[in-house]
Amino acid sequence: MSTPLKLVKNLSDEENNYQDISKKKQKQPMVCYDKISKSYGDLQVLKKIDFDIAPGEKVALIGPSGSGKTTLARLLMTLEEPTSGTIKVDGELLWHQKIKGKKVKANEKHLQKIRGKIGMVFQHFNLFPHMTILDNVAAAPIHVAGIPRAEAEEQAISILEKVGLSDKFNAYPSQLSGGQKQRVAIARALVMRPQIMLFDEPTSALDPELVGEVLGVIKDIAQEGEMAMLLITHEMDFAKDVADRVAFFDEGRIVEEGKPEELFYNPRSTRLQDLLSRFRGR
Amino acid sequence: MWNWDYAIKIFPEIFAALKITVTATFVGFALAMLLGLVLAISRRSSVKTVAYGSKGLIEFIRNTPLLVQLYFIFYVLPEVGIYLSPLSAGIIGLGIHYSTYLSEVYRSGIEAVPQGQWEAAKALNFSPWQVWSKIIIPQGLPPVIPVLGNYLITMFKETPLLSAITLVEILQTAKIIGSHSFRYLEAFTIVGILFLILSYPSSVMVRRLEMRMNKSLR
Ligand SMILES: Nc1ncnc2c1ncn2[C@@H]1O[C@H](COP(=O)(O)OP(=O)(O)OP(=O)(O)O)[C@@H](O)[C@H]1O
Ligand SMILES: [Mg+2]
Repeated sequence: MSTPLKLVKNLSDEENNYQDISKKKQKQPMVCYDKISKSYGDLQVLKKIDFDIAPGEKVALIGPSGSGKTTLARLLMTLEEPTSGTIKVDGELLWHQKIKGKKVKANEKHLQKIRGKIGMVFQHFNLFPHMTILDNVAAAPIHVAGIPRAEAEEQAISILEKVGLSDKFNAYPSQLSGGQKQRVAIARALVMRPQIMLFDEPTSALDPELVGEVLGVIKDIAQEGEMAMLLITHEMDFAKDVADRVAFFDEGRIVEEGKPEELFYNPRSTRLQDLLSRFRGR
Repeated sequence: MWNWDYAIKIFPEIFAALKITVTATFVGFALAMLLGLVLAISRRSSVKTVAYGSKGLIEFIRNTPLLVQLYFIFYVLPEVGIYLSPLSAGIIGLGIHYSTYLSEVYRSGIEAVPQGQWEAAKALNFSPWQVWSKIIIPQGLPPVIPVLGNYLITMFKETPLLSAITLVEILQTAKIIGSHSFRYLEAFTIVGILFLILSYPSSVMVRRLEMRMNKSLR
């Protein structure tokens, strides 16, 4: 019974693909996950995920705990290697490279080249505790981009001012509040001018009264526009405000995706309905 | 029994030999710090043969006596054309032997650095070498400095072993003096006291350092 239905669906998918391809000619996706699977031993965390992010697009990723959201971001940041499938960043394979026409595992040099287009903000900030705030932000420009120290510090200062931390340059991370730490972490990633930024629950380790200042900074960055963003969050209102598109993740699959209004006001799957009602209930 | 005049007479010669002992200690320890770090880093290599190779090497060296290793370096290497002075052989032997202990010390420091630090450094596109030199070592090393200090003192006290490969260090000097006059008491006592004078304040300093660091970590 289900077979004919599936056939019809596939056909329409293909039509969509045609349109997609013509669109892609003008606008290649910034990130393209192609049948990505990830397993830890017997546990399959991601199940053949197809997922694109357009240049400059802000995508919110929501879903229950353990559904694989973090894993999806970590694969892109090269912190974790996919079990199967490919990821393309800006049209180039991430985990593989072509040498003499053969697809082989990417070497460190290739990974570094692609990684330079990606930035990440972690749930637990992961600031470098042995460096001042200024050095935390200036370290990558100096050591990775090879910019002279004075110039790198200038860039770091201007970005720290942008996230509202102009009076903390010489403080150490341990002297900051959680909200301030996370704003430094955002500045640290931002200073390298990535084309895509990953935010993995940037506010869920924060005291409730500090959440607003961090979301505010992210919103400001989002409004500047040119950088693509993947936002893993449980802050539904924030997702609604900032995201161009929301994807709902459950058990290693994207169950539903669409414009925030569609997804939040018209959830189709019962799992999403459950999740949303739980958040409204709060 | 104890003869002050004699003790005062032989003291300068024994004291001068301390220079050899101290040289062997510090140069040997510097070598051990360097090799130990190399071993600690290669133990974590993603290349399996490097990781297992260095682990095997560490176990092998740690589980054979230093004296056997010294004999090998000093008496066996010449058979394959490598001739070393007693001092160089001693420094190399101490350096290699202690590098395996120090690599374990480094390892405990490295493992105490949270996983998130590796990930943040990688996300910022630091090269593997930069991750080590800018992020992991600066955080993993300071907490283990007191332990390194204790190993330095232990190694200092083990240098008389080098007399077995004919190095005329402080103990060997005392023995030679003793065998000329058939008086050993003064010579060996002076050696013991010199070791005590140098080791004891050092270990007190290390303990102070340890306490201060524990306080600042809290
Ligand atoms: N290194 C690992 N080894 C084994 N299992 C892992 C590992 N990392 C993640 N997992 C498992 O993979 C699953 C998905 O984890 P992931 O962190 O991607 O979920 P998530 O959607 O981000 O959840 P949360 O909202 O709690 O952060 C979980 O069941 C987790 O236990
Ligand atoms: Mg997560």
